[in-house]
Amino acid sequence: MPAASALKTLIVDDQQTMRSLIRTSLHALGITQTREAPDGEEALRAMLSLPVNLVITDFNMPKLDGLGLLRAIRAHGPTSKVAVIMLTGRADRELVQRAVQFGVNNYLVKPFTTQTLKEKIEAVFGPLS
Amino acid sequence: MDPFESIKQTFFQECDELLTDAEQGLLAMESGEADDETINAVFRAVHSVKGGAGAFGLEDLIRFAHVFETVMDEIRSGKMELTDEVAKTLLRAFDVLADHVAAARDGGKVEEGRSQGAYGELRGLIGGEEEDDDAMGGGDEDFGFVPLTLSIEGEDAPGGFIDLDAQNAEAGVELPAPDQAPQDELASWTVEFSPKSEMYAKANEAGLVLRELARLGETRVTLIDETLPPLDQLSAEQAYVSWRIQLFTDSDEASIREVFEFVEDDCNLIITRDGAEPSVAAPTDDGLSDDDRAAADSANADLDIAALLARVGGGDAPAEAAPEIVAEAPPEAPAEDVAALIARAQSVAPPPAAKAPTPAPTPPPVAAAAPAAAAAPAAAAANAAPAAAASVTIRVDLDRVDRLINAVGELVIQQAMLSQRVLESGLARSSNVALGLEDLELLTREIQDSVMAIRAQPVKSVFQRMPRLAREVADMTGKRVKLVMEGEGTEVDKTVIERLADPITHMLRNAIDHGLEDPEGRAEAGKPAEGVVRLRALHRGGRIVIELQDDGRGINRPRVRGIAVARGLITEDQVLSDEEIDNLIFLPGFSTAEVISDISGRGVGMDVVRRSIQGLGGRISISSEPGKGSKFTMSLPLTLAVLDGMVVTAAEQTLVAPLSAIVESLTPRTEDVHYIGGKDAVIRIRDTFVPLIDVGVALGFRETAIDPASGVAVLVESEGGGKAALLVEAIQGQRQVVIKSLEANYQQIDGVAAATILGDGRVALILDVDALVTTQRRKPAARPSEKRMAS
Repeated sequence: MPAASALKTLIVDDQQTMRSLIRTSLHALGITQTREAPDGEEALRAMLSLPVNLVITDFNMPKLDGLGLLRAIRAHGPTSKVAVIMLTGRADRELVQRAVQFGVNNYLVKPFTTQTLKEKIEAVFGPLS
Repeated sequence: MDPFESIKQTFFQECDELLTDAEQGLLAMESGEADDETINAVFRAVHSVKGGAGAFGLEDLIRFAHVFETVMDEIRSGKMELTDEVAKTLLRAFDVLADHVAAARDGGKVEEGRSQGAYGELRGLIGGEEEDDDAMGGGDEDFGFVPLTLSIEGEDAPGGFIDLDAQNAEAGVELPAPDQAPQDELASWTVEFSPKSEMYAKANEAGLVLRELARLGETRVTLIDETLPPLDQLSAEQAYVSWRIQLFTDSDEASIREVFEFVEDDCNLIITRDGAEPSVAAPTDDGLSDDDRAAADSANADLDIAALLARVGGGDAPAEAAPEIVAEAPPEAPAEDVAALIARAQSVAPPPAAKAPTPAPTPPPVAAAAPAAAAAPAAAAANAAPAAAASVTIRVDLDRVDRLINAVGELVIQQAMLSQRVLESGLARSSNVALGLEDLELLTREIQDSVMAIRAQPVKSVFQRMPRLAREVADMTGKRVKLVMEGEGTEVDKTVIERLADPITHMLRNAIDHGLEDPEGRAEAGKPAEGVVRLRALHRGGRIVIELQDDGRGINRPRVRGIAVARGLITEDQVLSDEEIDNLIFLPGFSTAEVISDISGRGVGMDVVRRSIQGLGGRISISSEPGKGSKFTMSLPLTLAVLDGMVVTAAEQTLVAPLSAIVESLTPRTEDVHYIGGKDAVIRIRDTFVPLIDVGVALGFRETAIDPASGVAVLVESEGGGKAALLVEAIQGQRQVVIKSLEANYQQIDGVAAATILGDGRVALILDVDALVTTQRRKPAARPSEKRMAS
């Protein structure tokens, strides 16, 4: 049972609102080690210095989008096993399937509740403590 | 504040930005200037609005944003053609979307018919039935998705950071041995390409050469940077880096060499068929020596520098971040490697080996063949700026800023007083105290400027409301308008910005409603059907100037004159210049039912615009050319807190006249002064007569006027264009003064705009020039017709 407080999480979304909402939800779940990036490129840059266990990323972002970020993370040995949860604006089957192809761990449809977020994370890591 | 509530505030702020972006994109789409990225940005903006609305359960907004997003999605995926009609529909719908956002923020509701109308139009574009709620983003459909589980404990902990050592090692591993070449029958070549500085001097780019090479077959490019000196020994005109390219191709050596045709003399080129002996082409000159070389093209040299700077961890990297450290892949890693990672992530084939990567959207074309080198400067530059901007912005309560500004105002006064006391005390100007005070004065001025700059904001916040207004007025009047805005980044004090919106709104309405002809009228005049209105902001002479120009019919002078006569503003036989006729429209009482319409009228005329501009210490004027259009020019002070003034003495009082109103000053000659009805003085200035106002009398400091010849006349111009000469005893000098409101501290006084505190600690009144001039003119004897007695 992983400790929520040990889960280093990177939140990637081009919208400050979304980042704040996700952060607030994560904090409510006890996941307090969070960092944020506004797009895929910045996320990769952040990961240069930050070991990350979980990336929660939006799909549609300027510069490098969520799928691109996922591919970059998977393509790079040291990060290839980082958990990635993709946020989508709508339940888009095709998009989720593409993400699955690149090894996404789970997906989350906006808007979501803290409870849903918790379930999605636990589906990847097992129950949080 | 409830964190949720505070995030909601963030959301609405973000919405403003998103809507601005979306509107700009939509305007570009309407004018046919939008590229894919613009369209995608609009989609993303609307999508983000919807996403945030979803999080806060703003149902009306979600519903509207959703259908908008769907249309944008169809356009960006090419399913829907972007016709003029579609673009116009989107723009109309955008206004409704903005209303929905505003309604959600203010707790109101968008008028049902308006919202439904726009909604229906958008739906009409898509066709088909209304989607169910799930598709609108509410549901969490099950696609038979099985989450990929991970364990966070033990060896397999899914943690990690990007490790460029590993990244390079990986690349090495992925480099197949020749017999594992992707295309078995293709030959493998190794090309070593070392440009000399001459190559860059001739404006050749390595990136382009590499890209050309990539046309021959699959390339794997390695950057060789061993010869990079430490940053402090770097010469901008030297070439330091080279490339080793592995090329799989069926072309022969001659074809490969042909790629280097233009640069062959300026580089060292070694082309080897793998497994064969090296074939050396160019003379082996050490391209990296420190020889003095011909002046290099600095653009290319800069590129290398930028790449190097990026490598050592950003533009501000200290010199000690030498290349050998870089080679050990520190955490603040080479930016180009991130770029390479990105390029890899975006390349089409899932095994992301160094197949010539498809260009990433942001870096310039050179990135395509040489991500390891050339992508860095652009990417680094592009990313450094926003990141820096984000990290240095803080939010400060406006009250605090105002307190600071007030305190600095006091500081300026105190400093001036101190300087004056020191002077009065008889200390020599060269004394240490006096010199120190001079420094203090400079510093004070600098602090004042900096503090004022805190409140400065770009006029964009006002300008961005105008495109919508233009569309609405155009729709109502059946005219076609293109609004061109320039200088939106021009900064001006926040208080000025807030009060600019109304005058600009009014003038824009006026320009479209009255200025522009309808399409038929324009066709007759031989003009394009679409009228152009230009809104422009710029700094000029310490003031902000706002121009609003239309290419319409211009002022109808005979008609304006007729109206002015009918309203009793001028007499039938009064001779006025074209400019004076144009400016009649600013007179109170000019604008009446005869010339106003639903749109621009609303019972107020240009005199209201002029008054509000004057209230800001500004002036407005119009220039017009019949048939070609009109141009309104507003000039405003950058701040309302400080004023450039002329300090004068009248009736032993020290007064300040705003410099912006002063045209010239002169010593009256007795023969130039005449009295009308034996009482009201006028003074002849060149061939014009203007009223001569004794300031001491006008303000009630004394009963009788002084002898004009013993004083100084300051010629001032009121905003209405009316001139008058203010008679004072003496001019003390020009000074910047801090404005203290008289109304806030005492009460309003006619003829006095405000007060200030001078260097000697005395209070000085700031003259309200317009009031003085107008009061004089309202006197029965001093009608405007007397103004041009000479003609």
